[in-house]
Amino acid sequence: MNHDLFKNSTVNGVSFKFNKIIKPLKILLTNNKAKVGFIILAGMIIFGVLGQFFAPYNPNRYEFVRSMPPSYSHLLGTTVYGQDVFSQLFYGAAPTLLVGFSVGIIGTFISIFVGISAGFASERINNIVTGIINIFLIIPGVLLIMLFGSYFLGIHQSLGYLPTILILVITGWAFGARTFRSITLSIAKRDFILSSMLIGESRLGIIFRQIIRAIFPVIISNFFFTAMYGTMGLTFVEYLGVGNLLQVNWGTMLYWAINNEAYLTGLWWWILPPSFMISILMFSFILLNFGMDEIGNPSLRRFNSKKNKKGDLNEHPEN
Amino acid sequence: MIPYKYIFKKSIAFLVVLYGAITLNFLLPRLLPGNPAEIVYLAIIKQGGGSINPIYVHQLESEYGISNAPMYSQYFQYLIDLLHGNLGVSIAFFPDPVSSILAGALPWTLYLVITSIVISFFIGNRLGRYAGINRNTFKDLFVDLFSMFMASFPAFVLAFIMLDIFSVDSGIFPLGGAYSSSVNIGFNLPFIISAVYHSFLPILTIILTSIGGWVLGMRNNIIPNVNSDFITFSQNLGLKKEQINRIAYRNAILPNLTGFSMSIGLSVSGVIIEESIFSYPGVGLYMITAIGSLDYPLLQGIFLMVIISVLVGNLIVDILYGFFDPRIKQEGE
Repeated sequence: MNHDLFKNSTVNGVSFKFNKIIKPLKILLTNNKAKVGFIILAGMIIFGVLGQFFAPYNPNRYEFVRSMPPSYSHLLGTTVYGQDVFSQLFYGAAPTLLVGFSVGIIGTFISIFVGISAGFASERINNIVTGIINIFLIIPGVLLIMLFGSYFLGIHQSLGYLPTILILVITGWAFGARTFRSITLSIAKRDFILSSMLIGESRLGIIFRQIIRAIFPVIISNFFFTAMYGTMGLTFVEYLGVGNLLQVNWGTMLYWAINNEAYLTGLWWWILPPSFMISILMFSFILLNFGMDEIGNPSLRRFNSKKNKKGDLNEHPEN
Repeated sequence: MIPYKYIFKKSIAFLVVLYGAITLNFLLPRLLPGNPAEIVYLAIIKQGGGSINPIYVHQLESEYGISNAPMYSQYFQYLIDLLHGNLGVSIAFFPDPVSSILAGALPWTLYLVITSIVISFFIGNRLGRYAGINRNTFKDLFVDLFSMFMASFPAFVLAFIMLDIFSVDSGIFPLGGAYSSSVNIGFNLPFIISAVYHSFLPILTIILTSIGGWVLGMRNNIIPNVNSDFITFSQNLGLKKEQINRIAYRNAILPNLTGFSMSIGLSVSGVIIEESIFSYPGVGLYMITAIGSLDYPLLQGIFLMVIISVLVGNLIVDILYGFFDPRIKQEGE
């Protein structure tokens, strides 16, 4: 790996900040898996942004000939309600991505906070927090989703995007917290943390300047994992029928296609495109997740050994 | 050689979490917006033709807190009902108590979960070992891509595709149910064959969607082991390649075993969804009905029973882990 790539050669403050933003991206591109995943994800984001402006028809209009197979004017045909499938797919990309990313970002923040404070706190607090993390890991997420969702349905409300994100964060943050806790535990025992403590650096300083920096690839990897959970969770919420089914996203598209038995009546152009797009999106998240794992864990790398491993994490994340 | 201390610690944790789950089940309907009790109340009056059996009123009071009794006495009433196995009366399947519905459904769900998770764990770890040992070769790439692709497919979409291909179009597998109506329920060969035949497709689908995590996890666990010093040492001793791989594998499987107990919850989520698609008479099928008809007593019963099953599963796996991991064994003695 070319470490010179990351060396900061600029002197003025502005470009230094710029470098800080660019650096994680450069790290991403040093790994093949992450590179492919990044390219797919970037394509998805562009697709999602364009979809907000350039969808050929209004995705909510019910005015076309019903169940039309793909043609030039309707690239992916129409639904049994007479909606244009391509417009729905195009327009629904952004909400799907946004839910995934929001769950990824919020969930990762919570898991960093919980995981690092548990790993860096006293033994007793560590045990208590570990217990809480395990409870959230054990409870099957679908059960909580269905319980909350049905209570919302009971008061004639469906889960909009915000409650959906909230539920998915509640059920999805614990995976990351567990990883961060065990990594922090192993880092906190290292010499460089001890020397920082002896110098007199504050706890917060150590957490932000040393630990977060050391586990940065793991944080990014975890973000992609949680975002994957979020996107998959959105499709579950919609599939169970507790979401707001008038919203257009890939989850609701699947819900309507499945509930009208598109797979039995041969309307493949209705059910396959959203399935395919979700799979590709998931695939890119998984690639990025594992790519970042390889970046953070040098022993998994393709060309490694013999170079110095100082400051790298080569511990197992398990404890 | 039994790690008593470890088992004791795990059992205490189990009881604490179990108590937490039971309390959560009590608090949820009281904390959430809206008043589920009112809905349940009206639904039961409608079902009962205007009049309401005092027994149900009593149950509603204990479950949803519509009585004016203080919270703590409601809570004790709830705990006592629970100890008697009294989970209320279902609305969707009206006169049936929730506990009898669950008694019929839960065994099928447990059967699906246990079978699929064990097979998936076993095959996944072997595949991961294969990929990790042959890393950076074409075989590794193929296994990795396959696992990633399977993990990226929404489980229920795969289930629908399987159902369409193997049941609807070709009729190789049945469309639903857990056994055919012509066999006698009990421990006899035709019943077992019928049950296995009916569960084949759901189990295959769950395995396909859950195997990716094991493969990739195992691969990433075994690679650092293959590179480590004790493997170099074994090589220098002149051990055969197969023996060396086995050493690396045994070392790498420990983190995956901890993952096993964590994955039970995820697995149950998957199974619940698959059951509703394959019309398999487990709790998932009842759950979809319960959501549709806002059957809160049934939903809460499912919630509680599934969590208890998952917790018990976790406890068993954790205790077994204590026997596998020599570090815990030593600590516990």
